[in-house]
Amino acid sequence: MQTLLNGAAAGGVYALVALGYTLVFSVLGVINFAQGALFSLGGYLTFLLMGGRISANGGLPGWGLPLALPFAPALLLAAMGAALASLLVERLAFAPLRQRNAEPLLSLITSLGAGLVLVNLLQLLMGAEGYAFPAGTLTGLPAAISLGGARIRSVQVLLLVICAAAVLLLTLWLERSRGGRALRAVAEDPTTARLLGIDSDAMVRLAFLLSGALAGLGGGLVGVSVSLPGPYFGIGYGLKGLAVLVLGGLGSVPGAIAGGLLMGLAEALVPADASGWRDALAFAILFAVLLLRPSGLLGRRLVEKV
Amino acid sequence: MERHAAERHAPVSRWGCTNVIDNGLLVQMLIGALLGVSVYLPLAAGQLSLATPAFYAVGGTLAALLSTRWAALGAGADGSFPLPSFLLELLLAGALAGLLALLVGRLVLRLQGIYLAIATIALVEIVRVAILNLPFTGGAIGIFAIPQPFATASGYLVPALALLALAGWGCQRLEGMPLGRAMAAIRDDELAARCMGIDTTATRLSAFVLSAVLAGSTGALAAHFLNTWNARQGSFDASITTLAFVILGGSRSWLGPVVGGLLLTALPELLRPVGDVRLVLFGLVILLGPVFFPRGLITPGLLERIGGRRQEAPR
Amino acid sequence: MLKLGAVIALTGNANLYGQDQRLGIALAQQWFNGRSRPKTPDSASPLTLELEDGGSDEATAIAAFNLLINAGALALIGPTLSQQAFAADPIAQRLGVPVVAPSNTAQGIPQIGRYISRVSAQSSVIAPLSLGEALRRDPSIRRVAVFYAQDDAYSAAETVIFQKALAARNLTPVTVQRTQLADNDFQNPITAALQLNPQLVVISVQAVAGGNLIRQLRELGYRGQIVVGNGLNTPNIYPICQRWCDGILIAQAYSPELDTPINRAFLRLHQRANPEQPPSQITAQAFTAYQVLAEAITRLEQQGGLRGQTLGQARSRLMQELLGGSYDTPLGPIRFRPDGEVVQGRFYVAEVRMQPDGRRGRFTLVRDLSLESDPQDPAPRPATKPSARGERP
Repeated sequence: MQTLLNGAAAGGVYALVALGYTLVFSVLGVINFAQGALFSLGGYLTFLLMGGRISANGGLPGWGLPLALPFAPALLLAAMGAALASLLVERLAFAPLRQRNAEPLLSLITSLGAGLVLVNLLQLLMGAEGYAFPAGTLTGLPAAISLGGARIRSVQVLLLVICAAAVLLLTLWLERSRGGRALRAVAEDPTTARLLGIDSDAMVRLAFLLSGALAGLGGGLVGVSVSLPGPYFGIGYGLKGLAVLVLGGLGSVPGAIAGGLLMGLAEALVPADASGWRDALAFAILFAVLLLRPSGLLGRRLVEKV
Repeated sequence: MERHAAERHAPVSRWGCTNVIDNGLLVQMLIGALLGVSVYLPLAAGQLSLATPAFYAVGGTLAALLSTRWAALGAGADGSFPLPSFLLELLLAGALAGLLALLVGRLVLRLQGIYLAIATIALVEIVRVAILNLPFTGGAIGIFAIPQPFATASGYLVPALALLALAGWGCQRLEGMPLGRAMAAIRDDELAARCMGIDTTATRLSAFVLSAVLAGSTGALAAHFLNTWNARQGSFDASITTLAFVILGGSRSWLGPVVGGLLLTALPELLRPVGDVRLVLFGLVILLGPVFFPRGLITPGLLERIGGRRQEAPR
Repeated sequence: MLKLGAVIALTGNANLYGQDQRLGIALAQQWFNGRSRPKTPDSASPLTLELEDGGSDEATAIAAFNLLINAGALALIGPTLSQQAFAADPIAQRLGVPVVAPSNTAQGIPQIGRYISRVSAQSSVIAPLSLGEALRRDPSIRRVAVFYAQDDAYSAAETVIFQKALAARNLTPVTVQRTQLADNDFQNPITAALQLNPQLVVISVQAVAGGNLIRQLRELGYRGQIVVGNGLNTPNIYPICQRWCDGILIAQAYSPELDTPINRAFLRLHQRANPEQPPSQITAQAFTAYQVLAEAITRLEQQGGLRGQTLGQARSRLMQELLGGSYDTPLGPIRFRPDGEVVQGRFYVAEVRMQPDGRRGRFTLVRDLSLESDPQDPAPRPATKPSARGERP
C-alpha cells in the first residue's frame, strides 16, 4: 500500500510533464527540450505571485510583486505565465525553422537553447538558493494523512489530485471540444486537417500553450511540495518526463499517463540497498520497452518525423 | 620608485585578448571537435545517435583505472606517465568502446529517428549511474591523480591534433570507400539503399562502432588532460551539447562538426568578459544559430566554393 | 600591484555555493582594505582580486585556472567543488601557483601537491561531534537510520565518517538510504526508513535537499532526534524546513555565535550586505581563504620579501609564508599542516532553534570544542613561529 501510494505520488508529476511533451510531439513530431525550464519557471512564478521576495543573491534583491495571492489563483496565473513563455519558445525556437522547412532535428537544439536561456535568466533574477512558500500556503491541511496503514504527506495527495484533474480535463477537452478535435486532427494527419480548413499553425500554438500550462502547473505544485531548490530543478523532471513520454508511446495521451504512473511505481519498488541505481531504472525500463515494443506501451505507430 | 617584482616579471599578456585562448582551452576545443565527429559518423548514415558521451565516459574511465591502478603501465611516483602507455590506453579505450558499441548497436540500431535518439540518451544515463555506483570507480569523487604523459597542457595538443587529423583523414577516405557510399545512400533513402543491395544493418553498425571508437579514445585523452575522471563526464547535457556541435557546424561534411566543436567549446570561454550573463548569451547562440544557419556553418555549397577557388588558383 | 585570483562556481548547479563564496571573498576584501595596514615600502601596492566563473564542471574550472595563472595571479582561491579541485589543482601545482581551497572537503586535496592547501576542515573531524551530542542526550539509542546523497562528493565522504563513528559506538544502522543530489521528494526513502522505527536519523546531504528531507521526515511522523552533516550548515535551510528545523543537531566548522573580534567584524560586514540572514559556513570559509592569503602577503611585504623576485619566486615564497603562519579567523584560530591541510582549533555543536513564525532561526551553540583537527597526526605540532620556516618535505 505504501509503495503504491509512493509510486502514484511521484508518477502523477511524471505524467504531467510527459503530457506536456506529448502535446507538442503529437502535432509537430518533435521534442521540446525547453519543457524542463518552463517547469522551473512555473515554480518561481507561483512563488512570486504569492508575494515571495527575491533574496540578497538575486538580480533584484528584496524585490517582489506588489501582491500576495492565495495559492490557487497564484498557481493558475503561473500556469498561464508559463503557457505564454511556451508560446514565446515556439515563436523563437520552432516557428522560424518550420517556415524555412528546416530539418525537425534542429528544433532539438533550438529548444534546448531556449531552455538554457530561460534557466540562466531565472538564475540571474532569483539567485541559486532554495525558496520555500510561505508557511500558511496550505492552511487547514494536516501535514500527513494515513491511508490503510500507509502515510503520505497531504501536499502530495493534493498534488496527485490536481494532476489527475488537469489530466482528466485535458483528455476530456481533447475528446469532446471542437478545439480538441481540431488539435487531434492535426496530430493525426496535418495535410488532411489543412484540407478540412483547420489552421495548423494555430493548433501548433495551442499545443505549446497547453504544454506550457501543464509544465507551469507541475512546477508550481512540486514547488509547494518540496520548495524551489534552484533554477535547475525542472530539468530533472524534464528528463524523467522524456523517459515517460517514450515509455508510454510518443504522442499518446493515455500512454503518457500510464507511463508516468508505471515509472513512479517502479521507482518506489527499488529496495534501499539498490537506491543508487534508481535513476538508471527509469532508463533501463525505457531501454527494454523500446527494444521489445518500439512504439511504446500504448503507442499506435512508429512516427518517423525526425 | 622600484616597481614591484611580481609585476615586472609577470607574463606580458596581463589582461589579454592575446591569451584568452591558451593551449589548455585549445585542447578542450579539439576534444569538442573529436566528439563532434563522433556524433557526425552515425548521422552520416542517417542515424541520430546521442550515445557519444556514454562511450566517451567508458573510454575515460578505462584510462583512469588503467593509469592509476595498473602499475605495469609505469606511472611514476612524481605523477609522470610513459608516452607509449598513454598511446596504448587510447587504443584500448577505443577498442573497449567499440566492443560495447558492437553489443549495444545490434540492439538499438533496430530503432529509428527520435526513438534511437532517446534510446541512446537512456544508454548515456545508464552508463553514468553505473560509473557512479560501481565499487571500483570512486563513487561521486571519481578517480583522481591521473598521471601525466606531458609536462604541460600544451603537450596534449599533439595527440589531440593527431587524433583529429586521423579522424578527418578517415572521414575523407570514407567518402570514396564502399562503406562511406553506403552510409550516404542510407542517409538519403534507407529503403532505396536496401533495394540497391546495401547491407544496411552492417553499414549502420559500422558507423556506430566507428563513432564509439573515436569517442572512447577521446575519453582516454580527456581523462589524462582533466587529471581526474568521474561519472559527471558523460551526461544528458553532453549528449545535447555534442549534437549541437554537429548541428551548428553542419552535418553534411566532417568539417562541420569539427568547426562546430571548436567554436562552441570556445564560446563560453570567449564570453567571459560579459560576466554573469555569459550562459544566457551562449543559450541565445544555440537558440538562434540553427535559425540563421539551418544547414550549419559548413555547408556543401561553401565547401564547393572553397574547393573551386583552390582549383582556380594554380591556373 | 599584487593580484589574487578566485575561481568559484557562478554558473551551473554549484552556483548555490558560489554565490555565498563570492560574498565571503568580497567581505574579506572590504575588511582587509578597511584595516589600517602597517607602513611598509610595498604597502603602496594594492592587493587586487580577479574573480572568474569556474562553472560547476571540471573543464570550466581548468580554463579559469589557466586564465588567471596566465594573467599573473600570485595565488588562487577555489575551486568550489572537490571534483573540480582534482582537475584544476594539479595545473596550479605544476606551475607552482599557491591554491587555497575554501570549500573542498574530499580526502586527498592538499596531497595533490605542496602548493595546494585548504581552509575547509574535512568532515572526518567535525561529523562525529554532533553524533556524540545526540547519544549523550539519549544513551538508549539503538536504531539509527542513515541518509546520504550518493552522487555528492561531500556527502558521500561525510557519511563514511558518520558510519565509522556509529560503528565505534557499536551501532549498526538499521538502514542506509541513498539519495541523489537533485532529489527533493523523499517520500520513498523516508517511508522505507520509518518502517524500521529509527530512534536517530543521521543525514548527509546538501542544504536545500536537507531542509526538505528534515521537513518531510517530521511531516511523515518521525519524532526522534536528527543529526545533520556540515552541508546543512547554512541559514538557507530555514525557509525550507521552517519550524520543522527545530531541534536538529549539527556539528559546525563555523559558528556565527563565536564571540571574537574578527568574527564580530565579519558579522557586521555580512549584516550590511545581507540583513536578512546570518552568514553560512561557506561564506565564512571563503572569507577565511582570502584572509589567510592577504595576511601572508602582508607579512611578506613587511619583510620586504617580494622585492626583486620573479613571479615564480614570489609565488613560492607566498606558499611558504602561508603555511608557516597562524591565523585568527572567523572560523576560530587556524594554521596549516606542512602538507597544506588546515588545522582548526575550534569546532561547534549547535542546535537549530526556530522562532515561532517558522521563518527565522539560529544555530544555538550547544558545545564549543577546542581540539586539534588532525586525527592522522595526533601529536600536536609545536606552534610554528613565522620565523621558523623550513622547506617542506
